[in-house]
Amino acid sequence: MKKVAKTKLAELFSAMAAWGKLYVPAVSDGIVNFVPWQEGLTVALTALNVLVPPKKFFFPQTETVLSYEMGEDLQLEDFACRAGERAILFAARPCDVASFAMMDKVYLDEPLDEAYRRRRENTTVIALGCSEPDEACFCRSFDIDATKAPGADVLAIDIGQELVLVAQTEKGERLISVLNGLLSEATSGDENRVKDEQEKNEGRYVTSVNLRGMMEKLDGMFAADYWEQLYKRCIGCGTCTFLCPTCHCFDLQEYAAGRRGERIRCWDACMFADFTQMAGGHNPRPSQKERVRQRFMHKLNYFPHQHGDYACVGCGRCVRKCPVNLDILEVIQEVGGAVDGL
Amino acid sequence: MAAVIGWRKKDFWWQSPVVFLEDPAAAHRLVWDPFTVYSPVKFLLEWQASCAAKVGIFVKGCDSRGINRLLQDKRLERERVVVYGVPCGGKADAEKIRASFPAKGIKDVTLLGEQLVLTVGDREVRVAAEAYLLDKCLTCRHPNPVVYDKLLWEEVLPRQRADESRFARVQAVASLATEERFFYWQRQFERCIRCFACRNTCPACNCRVCIFDQAEPRWLGKANDPADTLNYHIIRAFHVAGRCFECGECERICPAGVPLQELNRKLIKDINEAYGDYEAGLDATDQPPLGTYRGEDPAGFDES
Repeated sequence: MKKVAKTKLAELFSAMAAWGKLYVPAVSDGIVNFVPWQEGLTVALTALNVLVPPKKFFFPQTETVLSYEMGEDLQLEDFACRAGERAILFAARPCDVASFAMMDKVYLDEPLDEAYRRRRENTTVIALGCSEPDEACFCRSFDIDATKAPGADVLAIDIGQELVLVAQTEKGERLISVLNGLLSEATSGDENRVKDEQEKNEGRYVTSVNLRGMMEKLDGMFAADYWEQLYKRCIGCGTCTFLCPTCHCFDLQEYAAGRRGERIRCWDACMFADFTQMAGGHNPRPSQKERVRQRFMHKLNYFPHQHGDYACVGCGRCVRKCPVNLDILEVIQEVGGAVDGL
Repeated sequence: MAAVIGWRKKDFWWQSPVVFLEDPAAAHRLVWDPFTVYSPVKFLLEWQASCAAKVGIFVKGCDSRGINRLLQDKRLERERVVVYGVPCGGKADAEKIRASFPAKGIKDVTLLGEQLVLTVGDREVRVAAEAYLLDKCLTCRHPNPVVYDKLLWEEVLPRQRADESRFARVQAVASLATEERFFYWQRQFERCIRCFACRNTCPACNCRVCIFDQAEPRWLGKANDPADTLNYHIIRAFHVAGRCFECGECERICPAGVPLQELNRKLIKDINEAYGDYEAGLDATDQPPLGTYRGEDPAGFDES
């Protein structure tokens, strides 16, 4: 267990940036996002969730998959081998870190997504434990502890004047050894403060949901009237899907001119009318009702059936940001499980 | 009436979403509180497209101008809507409240005249409301509904400083050097996640099929490319020019905090300067400046 004084963080960031591309949370015009670190940047250490979840580092909103040129022969270039420069993601929150494991189930399963794999492999994730989950945080309901992040390479815990750093994987140990000159050994007192932080976590949430039987209950609800009343106020924007750390759907688009072009993969949202639009004009999800149902069924029924986990980490972004307050807390509460503590 | 569209309370103190009530016995669920801000007006489009029955709707001053917007754009059958007008003293900004009070301890927030009354833990706190109102409400010139069948209570006075602050941000951005201004907007649009919430919430965006949703031909690339994003925002702003009635919802609900109202108001200011003062959505029968021609109109394209 190592530690670093917060006053020394600029030096630490500088050393990290020399080792790999470093991304940190920072505020711009009131919005917190992960941005490339640069000298002099103020890192938003106390901000909880960044706006756009860090899934974007492994599954970017827009990426070129391949390029082609028709000449005598067809020239094809696969862009996957270009992906994955050495990078460090600093201060990912435990809920977002838990989402990586869900994305892995999609993109590291057969057929394996090479670009995604390379980015995952070459990115060292430093999680930062949350000292104060806000009222819309409910990660605990998904068995995520906001002071632990087993999926991270390094876990950082804020103990006041210092950050304690714990390497949790080989990748994490490698990074810690690179930074070793700037770190000191944590004392047993520091260890106790970490333990203390972790013990206090449970009592810090004001929102929790009961997921018992949720998946099973939804098995019989595809044709339920419930969706009829739920969808009406949905405006069909992409806020919930684009800001969701576990939403992973994409579209492939051709950007072609003459005999050459690129195939681009970009995020898509099941809330959009054209998400399931067929070339012949048919749309199997003709209204917003089917689209809203799809989103919640995917998170709370299809994904758990297929992969064993609910596709939600309780980060609360949809709760905070949906313009019409149509969020997963409401659905969980109304479909089955009770919401306690509100 | 088959239903009435209003607001209800949800889990948190800052959530008062739109609700469609079909059962008169459930009328007690309707609320009017500092967070009944989301406009119910655009839902009338889908309602009228899918149901022949009458519907009731509650509207604030800003929302009511949306009704006129839809009427003027020939997208609403007025006789199939019963409009309940609600004079509005402004709505609260949850972010501003959160910045001053521990959000997890807040139990209740009420507006009492010019005071905001908060129940924090078990104590009651009274503060001057103005500091906690939404920016868009501070620049609101028409807090009273301009179209209604029944007015719920007495009209309120518009805020005194609404007029002078209306174009303040537009002027601040306009005063930047050209290059700085470009960087300013570049930085704003960089945050855009292309969710289209701004378009989807806007009663002036009422085309049956939006150009940005067309796949053949695809006018707007789906990739989040900076040039496409800029293109989207410029076309959106120009398409609502002369029709935007300044409800400010696009900016308020933008998850990425893009200051869209600055674009809308820049165009309103330009229209005012070119064609004389005009406010959209006040009268469904007027002739909007960009929808009409007069001999004395400036011929802008002739200027070098």
